[in-house]
Amino acid sequence: MIRTFMLAASISLGASVAAQADTLTFYTAGPGGLADALSEAFTAETGITVNVFQATTGQVMARLEAEESNPQADVVVSASWGSAQDMHERGLLMEYVSPNAEMAPEFLSHSHYVAQGISALAIAWNTQSDTPRPSEWADLTDEAYRDLVTMPDPSQSGSAFDLVAGLEASMGEEAWDLLAALADNDMIVPGPNAAALNPVLQGAKAVVFGAVDYISYGRAAAGESIEVIVPESGTVIAPRPIMIFESTQNPDAAKAFVDFVLSDAGQALVAETFLMPARTDIEGLRPGINELNVIEIDEDAVAARRDEIIARFNETVIER
Amino acid sequence: MPKTASLVTAAAALALIVLVGLPVLFILLQAIFPEFARGSFAEPFSKLAIITENDRLLTQARNTLMLAFVVIIGCLIFGLPIGIIRGLYDVPGARIWDVVFLVPFLIPPFIAAIAWMMTLQPRGYLEQLTGIDLGRFLFSFVGVAFVMTLNLFPLVYFAVSRAFEAVGGRFAAAARVHGAGPWRAFLIITLPLSIPAIAASLLIVFAMSIEEFGTPAALAARTGFEVLVTGIYTRLSDWPIDLSGAALGSVMLMALVLAAFMLQNWIATRRSYISQTGKPAEIEKAQLGPWRWPVLALFWLVALIGVVIPLAAILVTSLLGTISGGLTLGNLDLRHYAPLFSPGSRAAQALMTSGWLALATAFATAMIGGIVAYIVVRGTGRGRAVMDGLSVLPNAIPAIVLAVGVILAWNSPFLPITLYGTAAILLVAYIGILLPYPIRYAVARLRQISGSLDDAARVAGASQGRAMQHVTLPLMAPSLIAAMMLVFAIASRELVASIMLAPAGMRTVGTFVFAQFEQGSVQTGMAMSVVAITLTSGILLAVNLWLARRGGNAFTG
Repeated sequence: MIRTFMLAASISLGASVAAQADTLTFYTAGPGGLADALSEAFTAETGITVNVFQATTGQVMARLEAEESNPQADVVVSASWGSAQDMHERGLLMEYVSPNAEMAPEFLSHSHYVAQGISALAIAWNTQSDTPRPSEWADLTDEAYRDLVTMPDPSQSGSAFDLVAGLEASMGEEAWDLLAALADNDMIVPGPNAAALNPVLQGAKAVVFGAVDYISYGRAAAGESIEVIVPESGTVIAPRPIMIFESTQNPDAAKAFVDFVLSDAGQALVAETFLMPARTDIEGLRPGINELNVIEIDEDAVAARRDEIIARFNETVIER
Repeated sequence: MPKTASLVTAAAALALIVLVGLPVLFILLQAIFPEFARGSFAEPFSKLAIITENDRLLTQARNTLMLAFVVIIGCLIFGLPIGIIRGLYDVPGARIWDVVFLVPFLIPPFIAAIAWMMTLQPRGYLEQLTGIDLGRFLFSFVGVAFVMTLNLFPLVYFAVSRAFEAVGGRFAAAARVHGAGPWRAFLIITLPLSIPAIAASLLIVFAMSIEEFGTPAALAARTGFEVLVTGIYTRLSDWPIDLSGAALGSVMLMALVLAAFMLQNWIATRRSYISQTGKPAEIEKAQLGPWRWPVLALFWLVALIGVVIPLAAILVTSLLGTISGGLTLGNLDLRHYAPLFSPGSRAAQALMTSGWLALATAFATAMIGGIVAYIVVRGTGRGRAVMDGLSVLPNAIPAIVLAVGVILAWNSPFLPITLYGTAAILLVAYIGILLPYPIRYAVARLRQISGSLDDAARVAGASQGRAMQHVTLPLMAPSLIAAMMLVFAIASRELVASIMLAPAGMRTVGTFVFAQFEQGSVQTGMAMSVVAITLTSGILLAVNLWLARRGGNAFTG
């Protein structure tokens, strides 16, 4: 046993020495393949090894908070813009404006963080579900979709939360009437994004209200009978901030990585996952931000009302 | 006490303190001091109001208990009859059945839940094949309990079959000689003597069902009830996270498990269950005779529901070109296996990582657990009292809680060096999480072995170490090996701690599958599960066959 501990201790010592060398620790929300592709291409270009931790935004944030007294991450990508604001306010982020960030829209470029890519929320409809093709959020309250609608849980999916907040911003009280009508139509709220989409793939349900668009585009490209429909009345977008932590031991490598993610090559990799690239001059594989009717949300105001909005959602939909 | 013995005691106690005590301590501190993770002791107890503020925690606690009780009943229905038969009778292919019933442990619970969902939900595989839609059954309280039962019933099967094997037909035979009928002999001799092992396994079922995350997360949200673990997880994984609330929920969870453990301990210690007194006796199992076929039919039925259907659903899903394409020949395709077998793939790395982690965890837990159990049952003096208290700890702490405790403890600023951020931290967490199995199995087993065997060896001139090596250890071996196989199976697909603790760049089977399911393709996740399950069961089958070849000595487990 003592030997086990000595062994473990020497492994750890070896590892902490190795960490001084040219390596970068990168925590990121999905898509998983993207993190690997970016880190491999970056290593090929610079020789710097990137250790990737990929999970959901919630898991990434939980890990960052738990590690607060002994921070590990150098660069972080989250799927929630608000989380970057929060960490910036707590003084955790390093100021850096990448030269490659110039072509990102101004509202997605901040002194301490910048969008890596953008997703939007949409309706994901199974074309073989024997239901009429929906075109608007409100269509899903129709009798034709009774017991056939799913929605990601706003308390587990940051983007679903943004959708609820966005609908409230654009429709006011009617947004809550819409959600109540969906609940009356037996919409289910089974969990995070994947949990909402998967029943629709097999046909147990017909349509997702508030699907993350790039995941659905990806499944459609893989041959699933899924169509992504963005309502003309408007939807919300979820920009994905990339940021450098103030605690990084390796700021030059971290900056180089951010530059690379925003470079032509990096943004092309982002586009391949069906996200909208953050840079407006890079072509996406799907409708871009200018083709969407984007509902703007005041992130600060919404974040402050998070508990209230979730409580009202639970009351209106889940505990109806 | 001889010096080496006290040294071993001290080392085992130290291991328990470092592996489990420390994380628990940090959880408690976090529960009391909300700002503890930031290194501050400000505003103690300010978060306790959460418990009384709303009744959500209490509702979750009630749901947790109800679910655990129903799962216990389910596990008795599925595991007890086949366990008793396996222990007392010469069942054809007994060792093969052992491996078959280990399979449920190799299936990550949340993958199993997805597999059942894809089978039973509307337009699922069952409806596609037979037109029957059992969605209403699956998405109900009983449905969740059913799926959890199928993950856990092997615990009862293994514990019961080992215990009945140890008690053997000999005591029952003695009763028969004295005029008892077979049922009477079973009821007054065999069953009571096996109670500690059955109670121990039910306790594990209780603990595992209240700390299980995958199944309730996948299914319970659809049925509208929350349990404590999903509540804790939500607090930990939804930003902004609430470490203190999670710590408080964890304390409640620990209290529940602790209560169950005390109850089991009380049952196990209030009288003697010694059944191995050293009298030479060939362990010979009764023949099934005409019951051979009905018994095999029963084993097949349990295997069909518990193993074949979920495995088939996982396999079929991995082979579907598209999910929306359904079960048609034209839609079958191997393309989702391609990413696993590309050279140097991350999937292969994940398999290797999980393999060595599970192996190291199995050996380390068996060693520590065996020593701890020995001291708890056979020790004397202060060492025993301390160990008795410490050995309760690992039982009371759910995986997710331990993982958080490990993060808090090993990131603490006063440590000069830390394992955090290295692969070793995963090993530390795995050992802490899985230590209860060897401890519980070995304690239950030791309580059946008479201490006079040790004494006889000592009288014959053997040292304490020699007596342990040649007498007690071989007698404990079956239960330790069973526990090691369990630990290996569970560790090879561990999820929660891996997600939270794996250093950046390191992937395990569990995290790979989870990531595929969340972000990649369901089919690739299922394909990885198929590969991992095949490899792990192959390894366990080989171990079991090797043990069978060595049969005839004390290793009859």
